[in-house]
Amino acid sequence: MTNYAPTTLSMKEIRKSFGSLEVLKGISLDARKGDVISILGASGSGKSTFLRCINLLEMPDSGVVSVAGETIEMKRHTRGHQLAANQRQVESLRSRLGMVFQSFNLWSHMTVLQNVIEGPLYVLKRNKKECIEQAEKILDRVGLLNRKDFYPAQLSGGQQQRVAIARALAMEPEVMLFDEPTSALDPELVGDVLKVMRNLAEEGRTMLVVTHEMGFARNVSNRVVFMHQGTIDCQGTPEEMFGEQGSPRFKQFISSHQAG
Amino acid sequence: MIDLPFLTDTFLKLAAALPVTLGLFFSSFVLGGLLALVILAMRMSRNPLLSGFARGYILVFRGSPLMIQLFLIYYGLGQFELIRHSFVWPVLREPFFCAVVSLALCTASYTAEIFRGGLLAIPAGQIEAGMACGMSRWLLLRRIVAPIMLRYALPAYSTEAILLVKSTALASLVTVWDVTGVAQQIIQRTYRTMEVFICAALIYLILNFIIVQIYAWIERRLTPRLRAVEAATAQPVPHAIAGEKHD
Repeated sequence: MTNYAPTTLSMKEIRKSFGSLEVLKGISLDARKGDVISILGASGSGKSTFLRCINLLEMPDSGVVSVAGETIEMKRHTRGHQLAANQRQVESLRSRLGMVFQSFNLWSHMTVLQNVIEGPLYVLKRNKKECIEQAEKILDRVGLLNRKDFYPAQLSGGQQQRVAIARALAMEPEVMLFDEPTSALDPELVGDVLKVMRNLAEEGRTMLVVTHEMGFARNVSNRVVFMHQGTIDCQGTPEEMFGEQGSPRFKQFISSHQAG
Repeated sequence: MIDLPFLTDTFLKLAAALPVTLGLFFSSFVLGGLLALVILAMRMSRNPLLSGFARGYILVFRGSPLMIQLFLIYYGLGQFELIRHSFVWPVLREPFFCAVVSLALCTASYTAEIFRGGLLAIPAGQIEAGMACGMSRWLLLRRIVAPIMLRYALPAYSTEAILLVKSTALASLVTVWDVTGVAQQIIQRTYRTMEVFICAALIYLILNFIIVQIYAWIERRLTPRLRAVEAATAQPVPHAIAGEKHD
């Protein structure tokens, strides 16, 4: 299916090197509102780095990042590397992008509820009562309302990841970024997290998902991007990619994944 | 054999000097803590001059005997005309303030390193999560970095507080009449070293016992893990969770 909604996220010619290793060799990707884009690729292909360049947790060496038409202003450091011209703008961009990490990264000194209200309360400066009401609603949706007074260490990995998703959702982000959200989970816990993500996709949320879950890429996303050695090797709808149009390299990638 | 009236009398006399010991402890604890934050900020700075200064500071004040530092400040600085005529002289003229200054300078070097250890122990992911939701540097420091750092630093920090209580005894060497100072005074009059020093040791022991309790209380308040254990003994909730299938 073709999505004609307006573009919410636009990345142009993103380049990034770590030392002499060029990890991203000029990657461009647009996401329209409601897109669910799965980014696949072998480890080391640069997919996580690319995702982290979107909310500038990694600063691209060059390239343009824009969200909802607003472009992040960059400037050159005297030593040549690029940095954000306006830290406030970066902070505001990040508050509009929800990020879910592979290792959950919940704040260990806060309860589940405190984790979820932290951003809305202190970054968006909303009213505390409303934050709590909203957080409880979201926690209920991910099935963890009865765990709201627990600390992260008292939860299973799958539960922690669902709290992390709730924490990102509480910011009411325009785009949700998932960095291998199920890779650190025991196989039996993966299903619940994927179910939550599938529900979000069905609600029409814009999502970029770096993943190894072929089932998710194939059945939930409307676009699949396959990265190889810092470039986009091929992309298309799941039907195209898993059908005839995928590149030989992609075919090899999925067959090795299914075998493994 | 045990002279109870003498012991009681000595204990009361020493206890009367407790305000001086406590004054030394609290003022140097607070001043040293604040100074430690400054040193820590410099030590973590990317500016090589600032971090170099902090390294040097820590090397000097952690690496040389506190007693010598105290003597240098009390006896040494007064030799300089410049200092005797400057605004700091009213402070440095007083043995009590000299003791506070040297205790604070010394404890700051240890505390800065303790805090730095706590800072380095913070999982990077939790800081990233704060950045990812749009926190400013200051908000991140206040809401995420400082609270987590404090939790990691607390056990070592309590040890530093106890060492500081014991270090206040050195102030008696520069004529401050703290518990140890008064104890020596009594010994000089009575020659009953054993009894008097045991009384003095007992007072420090009680003081440190109280400090340990305070830190344990703070640690329980701040550490979810320990509170979870408390909850487990109070009510059987976590058992139900452990038995439950992860949903």
